[in-house]
Amino acid sequence: MKKAIVAATGLLLALTGCSSATEASGVSNSVTETTITVFAASSLTETFTELGKQFEAANPGTNVTFSFAASSTLAEQILAGAPADVFASASEKSMDAAVAKISKSSVFSSNRVVVAFPADKPLSAVTDLNNPAIKWVQCDRQVPCGTAADAALESDGISGTPVSLEPDVKSVTGKLIALEVDAAIIYATDAKSAGSEFRSIEFSNSEKATTRYPIGVTLNANTKAQAFVDFVFSEAGQKVLLDAGFGLPS
Amino acid sequence: MAKKTQVSPALTAFGFAGLLVVLLPVVALLSRVPWSNLAAQLNSESSINAIRVSLLTSILAAFISVLLGVPLAWYLARGPAAITKWLRPIVISPLVMPPTVAGLALLTLMGRNGLLGKFIYEQTGWAMPFTMAAVVLTGVFVGMPFLVLVVETVFRQLPIELEEAAQTLGANPSKVFWRISFPLARGGVISGLVLAWARALGEFGATLTFAGSLPGVTRTLPMEVYVAMEVDPASAYSISAMLVVIAITVVFLLRSNLIKAFNGK
Repeated sequence: MKKAIVAATGLLLALTGCSSATEASGVSNSVTETTITVFAASSLTETFTELGKQFEAANPGTNVTFSFAASSTLAEQILAGAPADVFASASEKSMDAAVAKISKSSVFSSNRVVVAFPADKPLSAVTDLNNPAIKWVQCDRQVPCGTAADAALESDGISGTPVSLEPDVKSVTGKLIALEVDAAIIYATDAKSAGSEFRSIEFSNSEKATTRYPIGVTLNANTKAQAFVDFVFSEAGQKVLLDAGFGLPS
Repeated sequence: MAKKTQVSPALTAFGFAGLLVVLLPVVALLSRVPWSNLAAQLNSESSINAIRVSLLTSILAAFISVLLGVPLAWYLARGPAAITKWLRPIVISPLVMPPTVAGLALLTLMGRNGLLGKFIYEQTGWAMPFTMAAVVLTGVFVGMPFLVLVVETVFRQLPIELEEAAQTLGANPSKVFWRISFPLARGGVISGLVLAWARALGEFGATLTFAGSLPGVTRTLPMEVYVAMEVDPASAYSISAMLVVIAITVVFLLRSNLIKAFNGK
């Protein structure tokens, strides 16, 4: 038993010794490591993870950690005092909800809902959704993808009803990928990442189908937080978003 | 009967800490409920729709659970041990399955691309997902194991001499079941029925994955709570209060029967 403790302590010392050695011999002479905590909408999961990696590479000694969830949930958490430095929301409504804790925010990107369907069983037009034989799903009204879907459907004169109003866009996309529905109203970015087995058509009123993504720094944010926001607006940052199917801030 | 063993203060302290873990969240929840206009909150169109869907599907699920679960429990209690020892874990597995996994399992069986669902869809053009039938099947899947567990325990505790005596006197196996065993196990069946019903009533993840969420068709009370939380918290708290009251009532009603079922009278 005693031997085991001695061995464990030795191992621990070796490990800590090892890590301090690397620090000492490291090229970077930055004083301390900083961590930026970013709360971001779940539709940003892939792109922001990539942006985080690029930002860390360009700023040695800086870590970016993420918490991805529904924008409305994140806004509530920030209001309740969650330690976020940056908040990136999928709707201006959720950003407004957290405004008491945000120093300032501006729109960095946009997304639009489209009608996605399996490539081997294509729809010919958005109006196919009026056909009762076509089963389709969309987000429920309280999430941004549902608000945008409702507005776009209305302006295209669609009166058909979906078979389900799902709580978030990933859940809608899941029903399409499982091929349990003939069509789904999802973000262009989700349609793109669903792969080549799926195709999509646009709503005629792209303005109605669009949702804007604001980003802001919180009131008690880390000093490096603004640098991350600036990176999102930079040419490199915008390229990552555009490549994934996001639109310009407009 | 032996003298009651004393509980040490340390164990009591830990025990009460455990009690608080269960009690405090419920108290906190109830403190947010707008009691004064509870009726008005529950009277909204969306709440009424959800209440209707939930009651209809959970009651159907509970009765189907009895219809299929009691014979299954009987087989597990009296069937050949070489078979039942393998069947029992399978039957009970939905109890420990994460709800989304349960929903996915149902989807891969009954979805229109599912093992069985594909055949049905090709033959009839009908698919189960997004229908009330899907909500009922989900309820049976997650609820029936409770019933089987309780009823089997009760069956096992019945004095087997009675059944043997009846058999000696010329009763066939079905008569033995209906005249002797089932009447004696009735309390357990009722406990099982109520437990299965309560479990079906509370299901969320599996229902969402398999049946979707459409008001008036597949949107049950737990899903209504989830949706309302973002748009109308007062309504979410009101429905939650109703569900908590139902849960507590069920447990109180069942207390004696449950203890009997698990303790052997």
